[in-house]
Amino acid sequence: MNYALNKASTNPTEPQGPTKAGLKKLLPLLKEDHLKMIVAVLAILVNSAITLSGPFFVAYAIDHYVVSRNYEGVMMMSGVLIGLYLIGFVTGYIQTAMMGGVAQRMLFNLRNTIFTKLQSLPLAFFNQNKAGDLISRINNDTDKLNQFFSQGLVQFVSNLFMIVGAGIFLLSIHFKLGLAILAPAVSLLFFTRITAAWIRRKNAQSLQAGGGMSAEIQESLDNFKVIVAFNRRDYFREKFKETNESNFKKATSAGYANTIFIPVYGLCSNMAQLITLAYGIHLIAAGDFTVGLLISAFLYTTRFYDPLRHMAALWGSFQLAMATWDRISAILEMKSNLIQLPEGKERSKADKKAPPLLAFHKVHFSYPDGKEVLHDLTFELEAGKTYALVGPTGGGKTTTASLMARLYDPTKGKVFLQGQDIRAVESSVRSEKIGFILQDPFLFSGNVRENLCYGNDELAALSSEALDTELKRFKLDALVSRFEKGLETPVKGSGDTMSLGQRQLIAFMRAVLRNPELLILDEATANIDTVTEQLLEKILKHLPKETTRVIIAHRLNTIENADEIFFINGGTLTRAGSLEHAVDLLLKGKRES
Amino acid sequence: MKANLFSILKPYRGWIFSLILLAVLSNGLSLWVPQLIREGIDDYGLGTLNLQRLLTQFAVAAFLIFLFTYFQNLVQTYASERVAKDLREDVANKISVQSYLYVQEVGSSKLLTNLTSDVEAVKLFVSQAIVALISSVFLIVGSSILLLLIDWRLALATLGIIPLIGGTFFFVLSRVKVLFTKAQEVIDWLNKVINESILGSALIRVLHAQHFEYAKFVEANTDAKATGMKILKHFAAMIPIVMFVANLATVIILLLGGHFVILGSMTLGDFAAFNSYVGLLIFPIFMLGFVSGVMARATASYQRIAAVLTHEEVPDTGTRSAELKGNITVKNLTLMYGEKAALKDVSFAIKAGTRTAIIGPTAAGKTQLLQVLTGLIRSTSGEIRYDGKKLEEYEKKSFHEQVGLVFQDSVLFNLSVLGNIAFSTTVKEKDLTRAIETAELHDFIEKLPHKLETVVSERGTSLSGGQKQRIMLARALALNPRILFLDDFTARVDTRTEQRILKNLEKNYPHLTLISVTQKIGAVEQFDQIILLMEGEVLATGTHHHLMETSTEYVQIHESQRSTHSL
Repeated sequence: MNYALNKASTNPTEPQGPTKAGLKKLLPLLKEDHLKMIVAVLAILVNSAITLSGPFFVAYAIDHYVVSRNYEGVMMMSGVLIGLYLIGFVTGYIQTAMMGGVAQRMLFNLRNTIFTKLQSLPLAFFNQNKAGDLISRINNDTDKLNQFFSQGLVQFVSNLFMIVGAGIFLLSIHFKLGLAILAPAVSLLFFTRITAAWIRRKNAQSLQAGGGMSAEIQESLDNFKVIVAFNRRDYFREKFKETNESNFKKATSAGYANTIFIPVYGLCSNMAQLITLAYGIHLIAAGDFTVGLLISAFLYTTRFYDPLRHMAALWGSFQLAMATWDRISAILEMKSNLIQLPEGKERSKADKKAPPLLAFHKVHFSYPDGKEVLHDLTFELEAGKTYALVGPTGGGKTTTASLMARLYDPTKGKVFLQGQDIRAVESSVRSEKIGFILQDPFLFSGNVRENLCYGNDELAALSSEALDTELKRFKLDALVSRFEKGLETPVKGSGDTMSLGQRQLIAFMRAVLRNPELLILDEATANIDTVTEQLLEKILKHLPKETTRVIIAHRLNTIENADEIFFINGGTLTRAGSLEHAVDLLLKGKRES
Repeated sequence: MKANLFSILKPYRGWIFSLILLAVLSNGLSLWVPQLIREGIDDYGLGTLNLQRLLTQFAVAAFLIFLFTYFQNLVQTYASERVAKDLREDVANKISVQSYLYVQEVGSSKLLTNLTSDVEAVKLFVSQAIVALISSVFLIVGSSILLLLIDWRLALATLGIIPLIGGTFFFVLSRVKVLFTKAQEVIDWLNKVINESILGSALIRVLHAQHFEYAKFVEANTDAKATGMKILKHFAAMIPIVMFVANLATVIILLLGGHFVILGSMTLGDFAAFNSYVGLLIFPIFMLGFVSGVMARATASYQRIAAVLTHEEVPDTGTRSAELKGNITVKNLTLMYGEKAALKDVSFAIKAGTRTAIIGPTAAGKTQLLQVLTGLIRSTSGEIRYDGKKLEEYEKKSFHEQVGLVFQDSVLFNLSVLGNIAFSTTVKEKDLTRAIETAELHDFIEKLPHKLETVVSERGTSLSGGQKQRIMLARALALNPRILFLDDFTARVDTRTEQRILKNLEKNYPHLTLISVTQKIGAVEQFDQIILLMEGEVLATGTHHHLMETSTEYVQIHESQRSTHSL
């Protein structure tokens, strides 16, 4: 499956489907907030009614009380006004608080939804997308959507009300004149429809450029030490300048597109005034109309076109919101290619007695670039044995191990865990049974303890004493003491401040502590000194006797103790039989890297 | 520190001025349109209407308004994006001259927010707030003068609302600014959680810890929501208060003005005019309410950006660019991380053209030593001399062109293999070929679909550990360095390849000064010098034979490796 977001579905030259369909998908995010939105719209209606009726009450007070020198009447009218404004105060608060709240909750739900989606996607997705771009989608894009919701939506709705009302009045004053006045608005409707796709595309390109910029920044900052060591500070500047420039171009052209409506709507509004004036006078001359009606026609023309002009400003932000939504949907529509099969009765072929712990059956595997890296792998791992995977770099050892832990599924063939197709095994069960120490140890910022207990509720719930006991049980306490402050030693910036060896120690403890049935070590101790490594070997030997170990290493001693040695080269597996045979294979074997 | 948001506008005076000019022109013309309509109707009533002329005037006005608004929007978009672009460039340039330690300490998540979300806030200020802000101030001052001219008593009473409104703004904004800063900090936090969840995606899937990541994310996101809600509450309260106070002006006018008219000290006409002009006063106040939010957010963000811009950089005072021979002397080097000493009083000397190994257990300070030696981080005290001159005296550019460093962990860019290897600009074709050959990459590159032009995927995920390591070696060798630092380079490379690489090194780079941090004694037994480092201290220095006789710790390490000779 192709997981590259910027190549697949969000091709900015083709916006995704019509506006209506896009909006429909947004609605579930507002699920419990429909009532709040209605209240907000009601509040804004009351509020605008109050704003509009204020001058009317003032005029009434002047005509009836000031002119007749009735000061008590003036005072009474002032009281009425204050009362009205107090209501306005309340509705004004409700309007902003409600709609802003709806938008905040939508932002919250949307970010959670995207993040959950990311977590449900397989490793292959992350190999094909840039961290910076994903961050940009979750943080910046959603914020744009939030801005539209909190500021734009209510105005959109209330303006629509006013437009419809004024339109009805216009038509009822004089039908033909009304039609003529509304004609520019109809042309606007066409204009808006025709330009919609173009504007959305411009916005999509701008957002993509923004994501690209963010990806560039993230990469350069994460690799900053190379930039310093190779004195390529200019690389950082140049690369950034490049994406900054491209972002600038795309953003300005999207900005130009978004603001095109304001002058056009203004022009149409003035055209409508002109029509009212010319056609109105023509009608009066023909005796079909009066000056008084003409004045109210002008009033309603303004009432019709003013909100329309406000909507012009909103229209750009609406198109931006839609383009944003396309980018977000692109993630939400991704599906994991690691399908969970129903728990079946399917057993591997060699199922006469107890099934082997893990079995590969005619497994082939290709990465998305199409090159097959594993060809027809068949082997079994028995409980309690130690297996060594040897072979030159790039031969397929890590890929084989990744398939054991189901980081990927085979392109052809099957992997069985205790006789059951591994695709039918619950992820939680699988991760409990299989421990995999990755080649590149990763630490989360926090402290050593948090990293050891990471992701495991049982371990996290242990008291300090209980955790100590647990560590002692696996003889890991000696390793913990190598950290300056033991379990409380802080881990900063994804472990950037620790040496690779230290990170490998933590990763080792993290895996052993979970007591898996199958423990895979992918060059897991490569950067650890040999004295410490002897200690690690003791720990591994001390594991329960049914624990199966799979060790990928270059060092001979780790392999000496193996029950079986698999030689992996060029994507094929050979049973080495004896250590001598393995050494022989390594020396003579054709190099594939 | 105090950072003035308006100060960033200085270089853009021309743009801002034309922006305001266009806004004044288009708004002024818009006021003319009702005037035209009024005249038309009046003239028609009087029978003096020249329809032709009226329509022409009207059409001209409409067209000019269209033109002016169009250009106003263009200028507004251009100016705001330009400010954003330049600001981002300033920040990036500033970051680019900072030390590695600075980027490590501030963290990439925060710097990413600075360059994206914070700049975005400043951009919104330029595109949405400036015109509104300036025209509001003009309208308020103008209408105040008009009101004062009509009736100063009534005007003073009406203008009494302005300090009230100003006070409200001041109170709310001073509280909201802190919240806006908090909101940006929460974005830093979200960035970090997302970034870690992506960098650690393999581990998370192995441990089936997705729910853990989700919990972390929700915690940050909940904080984001809470902060957003708090900001919202302030504005939800502020805007109606301001509106209410502004509306009170109409009531004051009615009560007081009505009183004056009844007493006869004010004419009814003046009273009516006063009433119509007060609308001109209230409208810009509403506008200010909207603008204030944009401004508060921009101010908070700009302060965060200013903190990056004004952070003291490490000055490159070095001027020495002489060719290095490779003699290194280290004297009493100490490196403190907080209270903990990563390196304690380290001293040793390395002769040009020799090979030195640094051996020691995990967390002995080997990597830090290399980082200090190559100027990546600064030592707390002590000195490092290259060819007798202090490291600080060397010009960075010249120094880094002559000193190669191969990191322990692989750091690859999403560039072609060529771009990753020839990462420094000074790489020559000849040196590149030699580097590729020495790192045993030739066969590997031949098999790539586009050879050297093949793009390395995100974080090098398509390559094996050994391949990545060798690309890193080739990158350092492509400099044709005088001195090469290897940090546990061979850990991921199989022994046969390792041996060939070491032979290649000797053959192709005969005059190289090599300093290799390693775990394997076997590979470095023949080296000219071995430095044994433990807990940040040099325990022993000498040749393999010398150490075997004098250092029990060294013998212990050697013992541990007797059966560990690699495949």
